[in-house]
Amino acid sequence: MVAEPKLSHTAALILRAIHAGDGYGFSVMEMTGLPSGTVYPAMRRLERDGLIRGQWERQSIADAGQRPPRKYYKLTKTGQTTLQASERRYPLLAKLTAVEVDRS
Amino acid sequence: MRIHLAVLRTAARLVPGEQRAEWFAEWSAELWQVRQSGERRKARFCLGSFRDALWLRRNSPPDPRPWLRLESPGRCLGFLGLALAVCVAIALRSHPPGSPLRPVGPPLLVMLGMAAMSLPALLATTSLGLGEYPVNRYGWRWAFLAGKIALLLPLVFFGALALWPLIGRALVHLMWIGYAIAFRWALVDQRRRCPQCLRLLKHPAPIGEPSHMFLEWYGTEFACVKGHGLLHVPEIPTVSFRTQTWMRLDRSWRALFS
Repeated sequence: MVAEPKLSHTAALILRAIHAGDGYGFSVMEMTGLPSGTVYPAMRRLERDGLIRGQWERQSIADAGQRPPRKYYKLTKTGQTTLQASERRYPLLAKLTAVEVDRS
Repeated sequence: MRIHLAVLRTAARLVPGEQRAEWFAEWSAELWQVRQSGERRKARFCLGSFRDALWLRRNSPPDPRPWLRLESPGRCLGFLGLALAVCVAIALRSHPPGSPLRPVGPPLLVMLGMAAMSLPALLATTSLGLGEYPVNRYGWRWAFLAGKIALLLPLVFFGALALWPLIGRALVHLMWIGYAIAFRWALVDQRRRCPQCLRLLKHPAPIGEPSHMFLEWYGTEFACVKGHGLLHVPEIPTVSFRTQTWMRLDRSWRALFS
């Protein structure tokens, strides 16, 4: 029997936002409506658990946008599996973030 | 923006040294995104950085600098004893022998009273449980904990008294906060020690995956460098692992640790 992946609703929401959005902290805040004090620690935890991986963008890209370089997060394979399972567990998750994506 | 960067720099002091620069770069870049927002939103955004910094502080491996590691029980008690001697010497310079300790009253009564008053704060910040260990074994653990508390009681008292000329009326508050922090440290330190040799446990290893925590355990495992056993610390209390649990290893395992 395969154990069903389990994440808290907030963690699943953040995972979904990273997957659906631009993948940096502020974009996750915008999509989920969660405060910075919730989003960043949750992202550290997801990264520690191997569900997401952070990577700094190249300086040349940041220079072209006239802004400091951002750290982008992407889902790992384990993260994608966990997200799929979380979406089964929380069916509204996909709809919630889809609405936010449409708005933006 | 300058004041917001100052807030981030303050929060960055909580982040472990080796991660600090990257942490600050990430938060500064994110702050750039909210530069057009209202002051209130920017302030809320920056204040969130403290929570993130504290998370990193609590979840990072301990500092490897040897002088900060009170690994063996002897070194730990020795350090506390030395700190106590220094605090007593400084406190007695401002309160010569024979003169009553006017600011606070009879020392023993004050120590016990303030320690008792700090208990609610202690309960609010950590649990009093020390984990599951085999019954009727490892009595030295309790002696070691009692030794630490016996040294911390006068250490905080004389430490606060040594600072009395600087802090004046805040002495009682400092003592209250000092006792809460000191007892919290004593409990956290106790939970991270091998119950047999009382050395600090090492080699933290994350075990399991969050996606499997329903049927399997998920948390961190610490090992005694002498090979006495393993400590399982669950990430979230579950039916099978309500609290940290010690798994004793017999002599046949020692070869792996030597």
